[in-house]
Parts: sequence; structure tokens; C-alpha cells
Amino acid sequence: MNRFPNHRILPYALVMPSVAIIVIFLIIPFGQAVYLSFHRVSPFGALRNVGWRNYLEMFASPEYLFSFRNTMIFSALVIGVGLTLALCIALLTTQKIRGAAFYQIAFIWTYAMSPIIAGVMWSLIFDPSIGIMARLISSATGLSVNYYTDPVAAFLLVTAASVWIMLGYNICFFVAGLQNVPHELKEAAWIDGASTWQTFWVVTFPMLSPTTAFLVFVNTVYAFFQSFGMIDVVTQGGPNRSTEFLIYKIYRDGFGRMQEGQAAAQSVFLFVLIAIVGAIQIYTSTKKSVYDR
Amino acid sequence: MFQRRLKYMFVITLALVLALAGVAAAQEPVTVEFWHSMTGARLEVLNKVVADFNALNPMMQIEPVLVGTYEECLTRFRAAYQAGQEPGIVQIYEVGTQTMHDSGMIIPAYQIPERLGETWDFGQYIRPIVQYYSKDGNLWSWPFASSTAMIYYNADHLRAAGLDPNKPPTTWEEMYEYGLKLIEAGVVKHALSFGWPDWMFENALALHDLEYANMGNGREGRPTAVTWPNEFTDELLELWAKMARDGVWIYGGAEYNANAAFQSGEITFLMQSTSSLDGILKTVGDSFEVRTTFLPRLANPKYARGNSLIGGNSLYVSNRVTDEELRVIFEFFKYLSRTDVAVYWHKNTGYFPATNAAVKALMDEGWFNQSPNHLTAFLQILSGKTDTHASAGMRMGPFAQAREWVRTALEKIANGEDPRAALEYSAEQINALLAEYNEFFE
Repeated sequence: MNRFPNHRILPYALVMPSVAIIVIFLIIPFGQAVYLSFHRVSPFGALRNVGWRNYLEMFASPEYLFSFRNTMIFSALVIGVGLTLALCIALLTTQKIRGAAFYQIAFIWTYAMSPIIAGVMWSLIFDPSIGIMARLISSATGLSVNYYTDPVAAFLLVTAASVWIMLGYNICFFVAGLQNVPHELKEAAWIDGASTWQTFWVVTFPMLSPTTAFLVFVNTVYAFFQSFGMIDVVTQGGPNRSTEFLIYKIYRDGFGRMQEGQAAAQSVFLFVLIAIVGAIQIYTSTKKSVYDR
Repeated sequence: MFQRRLKYMFVITLALVLALAGVAAAQEPVTVEFWHSMTGARLEVLNKVVADFNALNPMMQIEPVLVGTYEECLTRFRAAYQAGQEPGIVQIYEVGTQTMHDSGMIIPAYQIPERLGETWDFGQYIRPIVQYYSKDGNLWSWPFASSTAMIYYNADHLRAAGLDPNKPPTTWEEMYEYGLKLIEAGVVKHALSFGWPDWMFENALALHDLEYANMGNGREGRPTAVTWPNEFTDELLELWAKMARDGVWIYGGAEYNANAAFQSGEITFLMQSTSSLDGILKTVGDSFEVRTTFLPRLANPKYARGNSLIGGNSLYVSNRVTDEELRVIFEFFKYLSRTDVAVYWHKNTGYFPATNAAVKALMDEGWFNQSPNHLTAFLQILSGKTDTHASAGMRMGPFAQAREWVRTALEKIANGEDPRAALEYSAEQINALLAEYNEFFE
């Protein structure tokens, strides 16, 4: 079958650049990571084949399991709290109120800020000795919160900062999604005697589901990968590794601790994990989402 | 018309480019890359030193590149070497010493003059630095930015709390007592914080002439285990835990995070590297009186006197440089050791003047009277012991990871966990890493 008659080579030539980029920057490094994951690398670059040892030790390591657990809690919070908050704010700012556009912009601008800058800001605000929030908390409650030593405080700080930085983006998409919900459907529901609450759950929320599914995916990617910059600026994975999420642990093990082999094994596992999670998410969201109007 | 003008412009540009290329080809200066981690106030000083060297001889050029933190610099050098992209000179922190010695990627410093058919007197560098970076009596890296830790304190705070600023604490017990008084007087909420907390733990051991790891502190062979937790660390960390509980000691994060608290007057005592001195003095300005003193010891007389540890960094040379490049590198190293350059470097950063001649010059011009804070750490290390493995400093392969584990233990202790258990756990992890490192040499 020839879908492009008279052009036998051209289609291939046209996709060549993309294929080349994918092979050079994705496939080959991935192959190297798999190869490396079966080796230990000495501090001077010599490789030693260790079979499955990196994988076995990874699953037996309390540090890895701790990191895995924390990553799961972190992503659940970023997605759960973040999206709920974003949806509430989006609902409020799409009401017919004075200055709705102002509120929408005011809430969305946080996304324009780089996670690094946001991280620096949050870490200074909560700095135990010079931060204004740390001072307010201690004068209000008498508790001194030190995220340099308190694992829970550090975890919450990173989570809150992540929710905050993603808020603008989430609101932006929810606002767009809400504006696309046909008004006549809501009117029909009201005429049938549905309350505002019922209208939201029966009409608006299902109509929003493509947006929600998309945002769940984007926020998962953020929690698993893009949170890196924030972590690196705010906690460097500490204290006591409480914020050393999977992606950050790969970086620390591979580059700081010079254990490339172990880091490669982790990245291969993370790849498999994300592939499975992504597949499940896309499968369920395309099945459950209401795309037709 | 317009097209013609474009054509002319093209021809002129081409001619210019060719002319420039011709000029470049005729001269061909030898350029050597120099990877470093000097940030903050130190960056400008380093760039000035390099620019002055480059101005001396246009045929010999050093190109400084800031590649990130010390840890990143070490990792990147290693990766770059494997890819054949390494710089001629790399600045490595003291933690990377064993790794660099084992790496097979470098020319030991003492062999550089030999290879060029020249000689160089390595005896001109001050003793503790030479000792720290030597292997079998020979220097393996070029002494550059050496420092040690000391106490910085806010003299105004001591006055405000009715304490004598001329009598800062000399023991950990006094530190605790002063801290409580400062807090009671309402001067500060927390009295003390550390920069490089892991390094302060190492310093405490060395200051009491205690080794950190076996195999003669890693100086007689690759160590297989750390020596702690032991009686000394129990005593010390019980005290630290007590200080944390009473709010005297506040854990301020790794590296230079705690400096901000000191500079803004939130804490009274900061234990930090001397290399922060000029940065701190500049930032604080006239807002309060900054003074410095020796690191505290435990009052218990049964522990011997050792010394504080050399920290900072030294310079390594890739073993793949050409003779022409090595010539430039050697000239640059000789330039760094010039008295006026060493003096400039010391005065503007707080790092030690590395040569004896520089120390004499500084003393002769009355610098240490004028700025006694620049003498403190130096006196501390020169007056301490230098003939034991404990005081010379430990050496181990997975040093960076060991530091991280020590930091983890200190974080746990600052957060109220049992010191012994926290340290025990970290020690086990470090021992496993040591075993893993040693496997590479089987």
C-alpha cells in the first residue's frame, strides 16, 4: 500500500529529522542507561558487571522504599489538593462578579514564575532564622518550624510550594474548561429543579472531565519530574532524605554520590513505572471522559 | 540598489572574518580551561587574578569556567574526562582528594616541574596544607584556596547580654552556657549555627586528636570503617542534642546557608570556614562588630589536643595535557604562588596565604594588626598539632557520601532523635560504602 503515490522517498526524508532526534537524544541514552544499570562504575570510570545486583539492592534499600513512598504521597497531594483548590478558585472566578478578569489573571500569574525562583522565595519566607512566615508562626503559636531539620516541615513546604506553582496553570485550564460547558445544559438542569450543587456534579463536572484528565496527567508529570528544580533549591532532598523523591534521588545517586550504576537502575525502573501509570491514566481518562457535546 | 549594498556588506564581513582568523592563526595563544566552584564574593577575586595573569603574556591564557558546586565540579570533571572533554586545570575540594588520587586522570603536582625539566620548591607552602594534600611525602595537587573552620561572633550581642566580648567561649560547655544567657537576655532566639555541619563534626574529632576512620585515618591504606560512634562522639553529641533542645543551637542547613542568619543578627555564633570572612565582613559592614575565635573543645581534660582541619580546595591537572599546555599551567601555578598574588587572594577572600613568603609580607605590612580576624584561623591551625594522622585529616574514597550521612545524623539529632542511634545508623551506611569502594581495588 502506498499512501503517497509518486513520493516514494520524500515522506521518509521529511520524518527523518524527528526520527534522528528521537534516536540520538532518547533511544540511545535509554539503551545506555539499561546497559549501565547492570554495572557498577568506579570513581575513575571503569565498569564492572554486577548482573541484577543494582536492581535487587534497590528494592531492598530502605532509602529507596522511603523515597518511593514519599514520592507517592507527594504526587497524591499535589494532584489532589492542587486540583481541588484550582477547581474551586476557577469556579469562583468564572462567576458573574465584578473584576472577574482581574482575579483570573491574578491567580494565573504564578505559573509564569520559574520553579527555581518560586523555590527561592518560599525557602526565604520559611527560613527558620530570617524568614517572615517562620517568625509569624513562632510568635503566633510558640512553635519554631525549621525545615532544615524537621522532615515533616520540609515535606509540607515543598508540597505547598509545588501546589502553589501549579495553581495558575490548573486554574487557567479549568477556567477555559468551565467556559466551554454549554450554558443550555445547566439551564435545563435548573429547570428540572436541580440545585446548584447537583448541577455542578451532574452537568459541569462530567463536562469538565477531559480537562481534569489532562490536568491529572500534567500534574503527575510535574510531581514525578519537574519538581526537581524546586527540591534542588529548597531542600536538596533533606532533611533526612524526606524530600528526596525518585527523580531527585536518581540525580543525587548518579551525580553527587557517584553511583551511576545504581542511578541507572532506578531510572529504568522509574521509566517502567511512569509508562504503566501513564498508560492506565490515558486508558481510563479516554474511556471515562465525556468528549462529545 | 539595496541588493548591491547587501552584497558589499557580505564581502566586507567576509574579509573581516578572514582577517581576524588570520591574526588568530598567526599568534595561536595556548589556552587552558580552568574549572572552579568559586561563587559569591570569591568569584570576582578569582576572575581578577586570572585576568591579571592573562594580561602578562598574551600567548598564555587561562580560561576560568564556573561549573557549579564543589560536588558538581568533581562529578563533571570525571564525566568530562571519560568523554575526552576535560579542562586542563580543575579545582577539587578536600573531600575529593582520595578519589582524585585513585582516579588515574591526573598528573601529581610534584611531577609537573619534573616533566618540564624545571624544579620547584614545595617547601615554601605552609606545612598543614602540604601535609593535607601529600601522599608519601609528595604533593599531589597544587595548593590554592585553603581554609579551616572558626567561630564568628557578634560582639554587640555579647555586650547586650552582659557578657564580655573579649572572652568568647572556648569550650562547648561554655558555648552552651553563653547561649542560654543570650536567649534569657532576649538578645537572640537561637545563639549558634554551623556552616558545613558535616565538616564541623570532622573538625571536632580532629581538634581532639581523634581519627575519623581506621587505617590511620585513611592515610596508611584505604579505610574499611569509621571509628565512631565512640565515647567522645557520645559526649559531644549529647551536648549538641541538649543545645538543640534548648534552642541554643539551630541547625542551619548545609554549606553556606547559615551565613544569612549571622549576617542579619539573628544568631550570635557562627561556625564557618574562613573563606566566608570577607563576604561576611562586607555584608555586615558597620551594623555590628564581627569578631572571630578558635573552635570550641570539650572541657573534659582526657582528650588530647589536635588541630582543626584544612578545608577548601586545591588544583589538579589532567594527565592528558600537552607539554605546551602544561607549560602554561605551570606558569599559572607559579603566578598563584607569587607573594603579591597570594597576599591579594588572602586579603580579599579570607583563604590562607599559602606560602611562607606571603605570610611574612602580610606580617611586615601590619595586615594582621589591621585585620586581626584574618589571623584567627591561621593561628589556630599553625598552633595545633600536625604530626598525627588525626590532625592531618582523613582520607577516604566515598567522602562526599560520608558527609551526607553525617549530615543526616546531625539533622536527626537536631530534630530530637537519639544521638547514638542516629550516628550508629550513619556509620553503618558509611562502612558499607567504604566496602563498596574498596571492591574496585580487589
